[in-house]
Amino acid sequence: MSCARAENGMKRSLFFLLLVFVAGLPVIAADLPPLTHGLTVVADPKPAPALRLADLDGKLHDLADLKGKLVVVNFWATWCPPCRREMPSLERLRARLEKQGLAVLAVDVGEDADTVFSFTGQLEPAPVFPLLLDRDSAAVQRWKVKGLPTTFVVDTQGRVIFRAVGGREFDHDTVVDQLAPHLPRQP
Amino acid sequence: MNARLFAYLLAVLAVLPAGAAQAQHSDPETGAVTWETRAHGVALSLTQILPDQARAFYLNRGFPPPAVERYATACVYMTVLRNDAAPGELSFRLADWSVHSEGQSRPPKSVEDWMAQWRSLGLTEAAQIAFRWAQFPPAQEYAVGEWNQGMLTTGLPPGSKFDLVARWTVAGKTFEGKLENVLCAR
Repeated sequence: MSCARAENGMKRSLFFLLLVFVAGLPVIAADLPPLTHGLTVVADPKPAPALRLADLDGKLHDLADLKGKLVVVNFWATWCPPCRREMPSLERLRARLEKQGLAVLAVDVGEDADTVFSFTGQLEPAPVFPLLLDRDSAAVQRWKVKGLPTTFVVDTQGRVIFRAVGGREFDHDTVVDQLAPHLPRQP
Repeated sequence: MNARLFAYLLAVLAVLPAGAAQAQHSDPETGAVTWETRAHGVALSLTQILPDQARAFYLNRGFPPPAVERYATACVYMTVLRNDAAPGELSFRLADWSVHSEGQSRPPKSVEDWMAQWRSLGLTEAAQIAFRWAQFPPAQEYAVGEWNQGMLTTGLPPGSKFDLVARWTVAGKTFEGKLENVLCAR
C-alpha cells in the first residue's frame, strides 16, 4: 500500500515536472537574470547573411525583400528562458516603430510550427511579426550565432549595424534611441 | 515584500561571508542551490539543475531514457556569465575553465563530447539541435551588457563538491572568477 502511494507520488511529481519543462529550462523566478537595455554597435558593418525561411503557415520570407527597412532579426527558441522573456518587448518595439519603417523577424531554432504556435499564443502582447522556422539550424549557423537569444539589426542598406547577445528589453528607451537615427522614416 | 522574497533575501544574507564576493542561496520550492560571484565587472552563477529536472527537459525533446540518464546525472548547472562592467569586450572558451575536485583539475565536460555521444546513439536531428542550443556556449564574446544562460556539466558524480574557475580575456589580459564549494545535486 505504502509502496503504491509512493509510486503514485513519484508519478505525480514526474507529471508536474514534465508539465513545467515542456515549456522551458528549469529556472526559478528569483534567479532570473535581468534583461539588459542596450545594443552593441558593430564597428565595421558588413552585409547581412542571407535569410530566407518559411513562417508557421509555410509562407516564405526573405530578408532581401525588406531592403529599405530597419530590420530586427532575433534568433530564439521556446525553451530558452531569456528568449521567452524578451519576446513581448520585441512586439512592443514593432508596434512603436513600424510606421517609421522598422520590421522584426524572429527565427526559431530547431522547433516545429505547433510548438512555436502554442507558446506564442500565450504571450501578451502576442507577436504580429513573422515567426520563421529554422528547423535544421542552418540559418543560425550561417549568422554565426553562438548562444540564444542573439539579435541583429540590419540597416536600410542590408548591413548588420547592431547585435545583442542575451535577453533584452527591446522597447526600452535606450534601445529605441539607438535605433531611431537609422529608421527610414523619422516621426 | 512577500514572504517568499523575504525568505530568499534572508537565505542570501545568511551565507554571504563579510567581504566575500561569493553568495549562495537555494530555491525554497525545488531546493536547487545557486552559487554566484562578481569579479572584474563580470557576473557568474551556477544553479543546480536537479536530475529530475534534466530528465523531464530532455525526455520532452525526444531523448531516449538511457541518454537522458547519462546527462541528468552528470552534475548539471544552469550557468550565467554576464559582462556587466568589464573594461571592454570579453572573450572566453570553456576549455580554459577548470573544475577542481579531490585534487584533480579538468575543464567542464565539452558540448562536442556530448554531441559525439548523441551522434553515436543515433539521436534525431531535432533532439541534437535542441541539445546543442540549450548548452552554455563553448566559446563566446560579450560586450558590456551581453550575456548567456545555458546548461553546463562537470561530469562529476552526484554529491561531488568542486571549485569552478572561469577565465576570460579582455584586450589580451586574462581575468578569473571563482566559485568555491559547489555541490553536485543528487
